[in-house]
Amino acid sequence: MEFVRPDSIEAAVAALQAEGAACLAGGATLVAMMNADLVAPERLVSLRDVAALREASRRPDGTVVIGAMRRHRETAEETDLRDGQRVLREAAAQIANPPVRNMGTIGGSCAFADPAADYPPALVAADARFALAGAEGRRTVPAGDFFRDWYETALEPGELIESVILPPAPAGTVGSYTKLARVAGDFAIASVALALGMDGGACTHLAVAVGACGPVPARRRDIEAELLGGPLGNAEIGRLTDALAEAFDPVDDVRASAGYRRRVAPRMVRQAIGEAMQKLGETQ
Amino acid sequence: MTGEPVTLPVTLRVNGAERPVAAVAPWTTLLTVLRDELGLTGAKRGCNQGVCGACTVMIDGEPVRSCLSLALNCTGRDIVTVEGLAPAGALAPVQQALAEGNAVQCGFCTPGILISAHALLRRNAPLSVDEVRAGLSGNLCRCSGYKKIVEAIVRASEARP
Amino acid sequence: MTPRDTAATGVGASLPRLDAREKVTGRAQYIADMVRPDMLHAAIHASPLAHARIRGYDTRAAEAVPGVACVLTGGDFPDGRMGAFIKDEPAIAQGKVRYPGEPVAVVAAEDEETARRAAALIRVEYEDLPVAATPEDAMAPDAPLIHEGLADYFKVFPAICGGNVASETELSEGDVDGAWAECDVIVEGEFETPAQAHLSIEPVGALAEVDAEGRVTLWSANQSVFRVQANVCEALQLPMSKLRCLTPKVGAGFGNKMEPHVQPLVVQLALKTGRPVRLILNRTEDFETVRARHPFKIRCRTGAKKDGTLVARELSAVLDCGAYGDDSPGVLGYSLLMSRGPYRIPHCRASGKLVYTNRMRFGAFRGFGNPQVTFATESQIDEIADRLGMDPLDLRLKNRMEPGDRWFGGGEVASNGLVECIEKAKAASGWEQGRALPAPPGKRRALGVAACAHISGLLATGAIVRLLEDGSVVLNTGAVDIGQGSDTVLTQMCASALRVPADRVAIASPDTDGSPYNWGTTASRVTYTTGRSVVAAADKVAEQIKRHASEIFECAVEDLELRDGGRVGIKGVPDKELSFFEVSGRAHWAAGGPIVGTDTWVYNRPSVDPKRAVAKGLPFPQIGVYSFGCMIAAVEIDETTGKADVAEVWSAMDVGKAINPGSVEGQIEGGFVQGMGFALTEEMVFDGPRLVNPSMMDYKAPTSLDAPFGIHSIIVEAAEPGGPFGAKGIGEIGLVPVPAAIANAVATAAGTRLRRLPLTPERVLDTMLEDGDED
Repeated sequence: MEFVRPDSIEAAVAALQAEGAACLAGGATLVAMMNADLVAPERLVSLRDVAALREASRRPDGTVVIGAMRRHRETAEETDLRDGQRVLREAAAQIANPPVRNMGTIGGSCAFADPAADYPPALVAADARFALAGAEGRRTVPAGDFFRDWYETALEPGELIESVILPPAPAGTVGSYTKLARVAGDFAIASVALALGMDGGACTHLAVAVGACGPVPARRRDIEAELLGGPLGNAEIGRLTDALAEAFDPVDDVRASAGYRRRVAPRMVRQAIGEAMQKLGETQ
Repeated sequence: MTGEPVTLPVTLRVNGAERPVAAVAPWTTLLTVLRDELGLTGAKRGCNQGVCGACTVMIDGEPVRSCLSLALNCTGRDIVTVEGLAPAGALAPVQQALAEGNAVQCGFCTPGILISAHALLRRNAPLSVDEVRAGLSGNLCRCSGYKKIVEAIVRASEARP
Repeated sequence: MTPRDTAATGVGASLPRLDAREKVTGRAQYIADMVRPDMLHAAIHASPLAHARIRGYDTRAAEAVPGVACVLTGGDFPDGRMGAFIKDEPAIAQGKVRYPGEPVAVVAAEDEETARRAAALIRVEYEDLPVAATPEDAMAPDAPLIHEGLADYFKVFPAICGGNVASETELSEGDVDGAWAECDVIVEGEFETPAQAHLSIEPVGALAEVDAEGRVTLWSANQSVFRVQANVCEALQLPMSKLRCLTPKVGAGFGNKMEPHVQPLVVQLALKTGRPVRLILNRTEDFETVRARHPFKIRCRTGAKKDGTLVARELSAVLDCGAYGDDSPGVLGYSLLMSRGPYRIPHCRASGKLVYTNRMRFGAFRGFGNPQVTFATESQIDEIADRLGMDPLDLRLKNRMEPGDRWFGGGEVASNGLVECIEKAKAASGWEQGRALPAPPGKRRALGVAACAHISGLLATGAIVRLLEDGSVVLNTGAVDIGQGSDTVLTQMCASALRVPADRVAIASPDTDGSPYNWGTTASRVTYTTGRSVVAAADKVAEQIKRHASEIFECAVEDLELRDGGRVGIKGVPDKELSFFEVSGRAHWAAGGPIVGTDTWVYNRPSVDPKRAVAKGLPFPQIGVYSFGCMIAAVEIDETTGKADVAEVWSAMDVGKAINPGSVEGQIEGGFVQGMGFALTEEMVFDGPRLVNPSMMDYKAPTSLDAPFGIHSIIVEAAEPGGPFGAKGIGEIGLVPVPAAIANAVATAAGTRLRRLPLTPERVLDTMLEDGDED
């Protein structure tokens, strides 16, 4: 095993081209797996010194770009994330615990793509895109396409995550992230990421992604689109949760059964929408 | 691990002192170096997975897991362990508070708790019970039920001038 | 930090732990912090299989790894067997493996990484055997035999065993079968509790060193240096005189460190290599190969008259023993002894089977079977109250044991603070306002109660108190402080008995060479049993001090008294006094010889009276004195998810006398949260014989955000005659009622009752949905 610590994205990408190379971001996942003898990369490419990966910025149009090495604590406190984008702040704040949030990075977490992790549904609900850099150049991938399967992403060998790009959220929308876990800071049994806008009783913005109920976050843009412009009553929410349930593909694990996930996730969606509507009511 | 390990010499800044270590393998964690090479056994190995919190140390002023930090990635950082919280023979206020508040039982989680508490106390304002509970949520204690630890840290935050 | 006067540091003072400073500075040395010159590091090679014959070993690749000093397998060990009740366990697998994770080979090398790498290179040829993963499997007619030699194993009690049943126990009083006809209401149910991991934050480990004469010194994470000595010597067939056991600081023990873990392995490695050897298990190994709380399946039936008078109970339990006996026969017997609870129930029968399986061994865990049976029995008390429309606390008070009543089996009960516990918990919790509490939208809240009892046990103990030349004191008991604070409490007792400040008493670290025998830090026993010896030994020192003073003052011993600050004087004559310095100086240099007080005793009050009860296969003839408790928990259920959280809890526990109230509270608070984990989130999940979640990622104990801050300890002091200063133990009882109190609150809030732990969101939601009171 060798250890390299490049100081630019270009150098990092170059270092990653070797067989068996792996990025070391915050270490929260990779080092835990190395300690358990589950992985042993032949080359560790530490991204610690790549300053560009540690930045976050807000563009004039409200787009927020979060460098892959931004740590969970920074993202949880990121004031540039506004309105519906706040779904990401709430998700980051619920990851693990303070010392792990001081280490773990958004890039590292997403690259590992644990379906029960907090970022995937939040980023899918935020319509985020991943900016990737590889030997072939740069590309962006929508979050919905980035998370492909259990622990599988769109990252090609030799490619790294440069940043996560959140489009502007319409003013007045709210973002929320609700997690059900066995104990504080555990991975989710089920989670709901939500961005919602209402105007005079009509839904103006709706994005719901459910985490931990399948290999990738479940989202039904088709139904969301149909619900835009109308009220969000019991029936409408029922349509959405029914459709989401079709997208679930949960498994039994030590946290809960697949059946429970199917039962609880729609209830959590309903609850989250209800709370968000209350919040909107208060702010309107 | 495959092949011959490529080890590197490193110097770490621990508790204010430059500490050279002759040969560190890429996979060697900061916790291992602290305990096995530098004789700083205050940080404990409870799970080696970043969950229990007994290995918590401060890097550049923030509590992190030393079992998830590779030593080679810690050069140039300012590392503080429980041994560095107060000069030899003295106790930091938070150490005093835990000792006097019956907040130490077996003591195995205590060094990690102290690091997390120290970080909380740097915010120069009295801490609420819930702030302390949240701040300690990454440090498992199996003996105390947390109550006396939380009380001691709240007291320490209120006692500051 | 340490006030110097006796009153401020002796019995009744919340004296800070004697080792608190050492622990907050990071200087306290635990087993993994210990290093000896030229020390080797060891690693185990564990069985991947649950049940298989070992056909052969290939250790060549491991031995060829540079830095490997020694590889040992079954044939390199004497074929002795250890076990607290049934001598069924070898130091390392011999001939066959009986559970996944069982050590099959062990390697010593220059560093831990090398040892682990080499251990992974060992190849073992196995012949698969049929697996019995559960007690049901193991009791099936065609089940594979897990211990072919069971009949021939040495047993320390008249065990009823056969096939895969390691022990069968029955205890009865009255005419249970005839009593059901007298009952107006009968509740019946099956209760199930899972394996719980102790999860000491310190994983187990040991370090052994051999001297030039071949005598071994052994340090380890332990709860009794004497049990370590006995187990290692039995397994390795060493005379006890050849093994000295010591203890570093212990990173908590909840029963997991009472009986052996890796100690025999490091001793054998040290004997073979001649070098110090240290072995520290990693967390996964600690989960898989140490021990855990027994899974219980309990059938329970309780009957009462219309007016609430309890009439009869029948309880039968099946315990998964795991692959080796360990403390399990004791857990079975003790759980049955506790199955009547602190009540008058004239007709009772409790029986149980302990069944070997191909899972990891189960053993002692804080509560020792009592939390499991109390979950069942206290659930049924609430069920009866509900059926009769009675207040559950009134029902408990109506049927409580009265002074003079005997325990189930016939044991005498000398002190009983139950009524005070119930009344104080009731008043503090606002119980009178009703069990269903107001809750915010989307939540439900309710109070739940459970009463309980436990023992402060048993077996042998001693203490040596020595007066040093300057009049200060050294106390030596052999009791290991596992973090619960016994060193501090015993020191306080000694200080009070001799009327010296606590900082004038040093406490010796347990040492099988120099300490009097102490069975162990277990069974809530150190404060009571060892404390009693400490007081008795200190009293003997006081007698000798007075004898010296009587010779100097030429007065009668009866006219002398001890005075605060380490002085002896003539009663009623304030200026006629001597310091302990003067007395001890005389004893050392002039007359009488150095002053030493010793005491040893073994608990001997019978737990079964054959005129009252019939007992079969019960391992505990003499169990201990009784303490009592009552817990009321306020639980909140989230209607969306079914997740239950404890908002607040009132835990009233009868400790006889709180020697150190701060430490007593620490035991109550810590016991509550560990019990809350057992009730709500903790479960070792098995796939057949294999543990699925042997990591802290997958096995979840409460964090500071899950534990309520509102844990209200209510200390009740019903003095135990014969207890030191009236004290009883508090180590376990605070955990015992927790699952039942929480389950009773959940039953009230959810509207239906769950009889299986843990009360996961899934189980709670499903029961609410089945109950049909959906939104």
